[in-house]
Amino acid sequence: MTSLRREPSLLLALLAVTGLVLVFIVYPQYRVITEPGGSGYVDFITGQTWVRPLQNSITVTLLSTTTAVLLGFVYAYAMVYTDMRGKPFFRLVGILPLLSPPFVVAAAYILLFGPRGIITYHVFGQSPNILGLFGIWGVQTIAFFPFAYQLIADVLSRSDARLEQAARNLGAGPWQVFKSVTLPLTRPGLGAAILTTAIYILEDFGNPALIGGLYVVLPTQAYGLISGFGDLNGAAAVSTILLSLALVLYIGKLRLDGGRQFVTVSGKASSMPRPPVPRYVSWGAFVACSLCALIILLVYGTLIISALTLHFPTNLAFTTQHFEYVGAHNLSLRNTLMYGLVAAVFSALFALFAAFLVERGKWRGRRVLDFLLIMPAAVPGLFFGLGYLTAFNGTFIDDLDETGGILITIALIFWNIPVGYQAATAGLRQIDRSIDEAATSLGAGGLRMFREILMPMLGGSLRVGFTTTFVRAVTTLSVVIFLFTTQSATATITIFQLVGDFNWGGATAFTVADVSMAVIALVVIAVLSRGRVSLGGARG
Amino acid sequence: MTPELDRRSFLKAAGIVTAAAACGGGAGAPAPATATQAAATATAAAKASGTISVYSALNESTNNEFVKAFKAAVPGVEVALLPLAAAGELQTRIKAEKASPKADIFIGGDSSFHDGLGKEGLLETYVSANASAVAAQSKDPGNNWTGWYFGIFGIVMNTDRVNKEVGGAKPTTWDDLTDPKWKGKLVLGSPITTGGGYIFIATQIFRFNKDEAKAMDYMKRFHANVAQYPGTSPQAIQLVSQGQFVAAPNWAHDILTEKAKNPGVELAIPKGTGYEIGAISVIKGTKNPVAAKAFVDWVLTKEAGELNVKLSNRVSVRTDVPPAPGAPTLTSVEMVNYDRDWAAANKDRVLKLWQSTVGL
Repeated sequence: MTSLRREPSLLLALLAVTGLVLVFIVYPQYRVITEPGGSGYVDFITGQTWVRPLQNSITVTLLSTTTAVLLGFVYAYAMVYTDMRGKPFFRLVGILPLLSPPFVVAAAYILLFGPRGIITYHVFGQSPNILGLFGIWGVQTIAFFPFAYQLIADVLSRSDARLEQAARNLGAGPWQVFKSVTLPLTRPGLGAAILTTAIYILEDFGNPALIGGLYVVLPTQAYGLISGFGDLNGAAAVSTILLSLALVLYIGKLRLDGGRQFVTVSGKASSMPRPPVPRYVSWGAFVACSLCALIILLVYGTLIISALTLHFPTNLAFTTQHFEYVGAHNLSLRNTLMYGLVAAVFSALFALFAAFLVERGKWRGRRVLDFLLIMPAAVPGLFFGLGYLTAFNGTFIDDLDETGGILITIALIFWNIPVGYQAATAGLRQIDRSIDEAATSLGAGGLRMFREILMPMLGGSLRVGFTTTFVRAVTTLSVVIFLFTTQSATATITIFQLVGDFNWGGATAFTVADVSMAVIALVVIAVLSRGRVSLGGARG
Repeated sequence: MTPELDRRSFLKAAGIVTAAAACGGGAGAPAPATATQAAATATAAAKASGTISVYSALNESTNNEFVKAFKAAVPGVEVALLPLAAAGELQTRIKAEKASPKADIFIGGDSSFHDGLGKEGLLETYVSANASAVAAQSKDPGNNWTGWYFGIFGIVMNTDRVNKEVGGAKPTTWDDLTDPKWKGKLVLGSPITTGGGYIFIATQIFRFNKDEAKAMDYMKRFHANVAQYPGTSPQAIQLVSQGQFVAAPNWAHDILTEKAKNPGVELAIPKGTGYEIGAISVIKGTKNPVAAKAFVDWVLTKEAGELNVKLSNRVSVRTDVPPAPGAPTLTSVEMVNYDRDWAAANKDRVLKLWQSTVGL
């Protein structure tokens, strides 16, 4: 990339990106963090109520990240490398956990696997007490492996098949190719995937809130301080501790990356087929994916049956009455769709462009921008929303749009930057810089090179950002909870209301409608963009 | 969009309007509707109109019927409802919006949520004419909020499992729950994250006349029987209703609501139980005080009290409103002497004491 001094348009772009990040990521967080004041922090820190949740957060993040990434890797490997059957099916099933509000899904898990669970008790006669560490671990593994799967699949699918073919031709076995070619090639992507997954798990409050019992983690403690006691100061202090943990993860990521580059793409991903994997690997992958799919389908089956019975599981009489809520609250469904789509487009593009500036730039301070761009992933949604409310209440954004829809959309754009950004960074690292140089030698400016050369090559990363932002926008409750107005309630708000009203049937019916809408939207998008159903950005 | 734009100019013109109204004229105000409104406020013959924005911590089903009934009773006032059955979040939201308040009314949730706002000066004092039907201990002495319903703490039981595994007897005292036969069968909304869980501990402390050592000894024996402390209050009821666990101390009105859907659960009210006072308040800076106060007046009527009893099974503060069938009242069961101010002031300390007592 040419220097900023010689290219004023690039400098302007950089200033614009930095400005937006400062206004919409840093400033709201600053407002929340400074809320308690010095004495508020001293009171809270010396109170030591945070010690146990901190320990719990670290434990559960380590456990769930390990299993979610392992599962995500197996799933991604199976999708990209093997010729197992049913890939479109697995692709769709793998994305389902992303599409549903966790507070409904966790409830379905308890119905299935609780002490009197349908599977655990009525099939196997066991009464496991899943509320607690093991419950969180299990649910988070299922809930978050799709994130890891998406990121890893994107990286795997871009690793060069020719290198793997070459290794096989030179006599390496499949395992050796995997170990010494595939794995090193995917290292930056894997690092990004692990970091992103870890931060999402650290920040997750929906699952621990419903299945954690007294196993309180930092986000549930923060949430409880607000919802149970209206203790904003304590909650802000907890949020600050969370942010510090994210900083630790970030430093870990820097070390993992080690500044090493893995260049495998010297153009559009190669058209050469990947070397075939042995039959037993394909079959193993098929079995592993089937097991994952079975659990996911059980959960969704439970939701659908709950939506169609009077009072699952105690009254199994068939009814469609719960779907009346869908019609009654169709405004919140429409809001969800609109905010999600708009946020996804802007978030993915912004993340890609910002990744280009950071990854290809040589200016000072880009590590700071890098951190600020992944920071939102570590901010509990509740605080992201609260920060926006505190920072922008009564400002021009308020005047612009009384319904609050614009503010919600902006919050969703910036809260979801990290996944798209990480995917774009990983993608950029696999594109040889000599391509940039060729373009600039031919006279293209930095911006033109980005637009015409890099962006078309980063379709996969762009789609990861788009898809993830969309599904997270569809499923988030915590970001929206402080921002929605009388006109801009979203589907998750409605579901939350119905759950709180002991209306399990209505809540599940609405969840089914919400998830169906999201699936249809994603399929339409995939068909429109590429002519094939490619939800995760993973090219099989 | 037009009414929304009007409301927007309300927000901007707030200061001017108030000043103009005080001077007895509205000529300087930018929006004619606003000026009329302000003039109306100044005169005694106020007629409620316009729109009010209501932040409601009531249940989904209650909200809709409530607004419908209010509109029928006070025609001409539109209600924009922001429903969120989580009083703590609404309270936080009102605090965060203090620079430019969006709400006119905060309804539902324990009075402590309203009291916190009142102490920060974020509520408009108002004494409704209808508040005379409310006993003094259910109103704020500072007139920031008015109580309009009670929520009473009880126990939800899974009838089938109680009959099969615990001998079928309803617990009549809190001490019954420390019998070893309940071991591993109880759940309680986490005192750390749910208001109800904390009210349970506070109730024990008040039951022993604030002898915290005795209360903690009780909590320790109770803890020996507890399988889980779920993160939300409704979830504890759901778990018992599904039969995952056998019983849980929880809100009586919510238990009755669940019972209407699943007859397999049962409500018990032990002696010496605690309760919440559900409150309503007017937000300071409201742009439509006439309509907001009309809403408060209506909520305190017998009619609204009866509707709330019917929809949510809560108990009206009005003595002329009968309780829902099977619902306890403050007089039908023995209440503990619940000291709301003490409970709020000692929360952190008590929770810490409890955590160290049960080793969590």
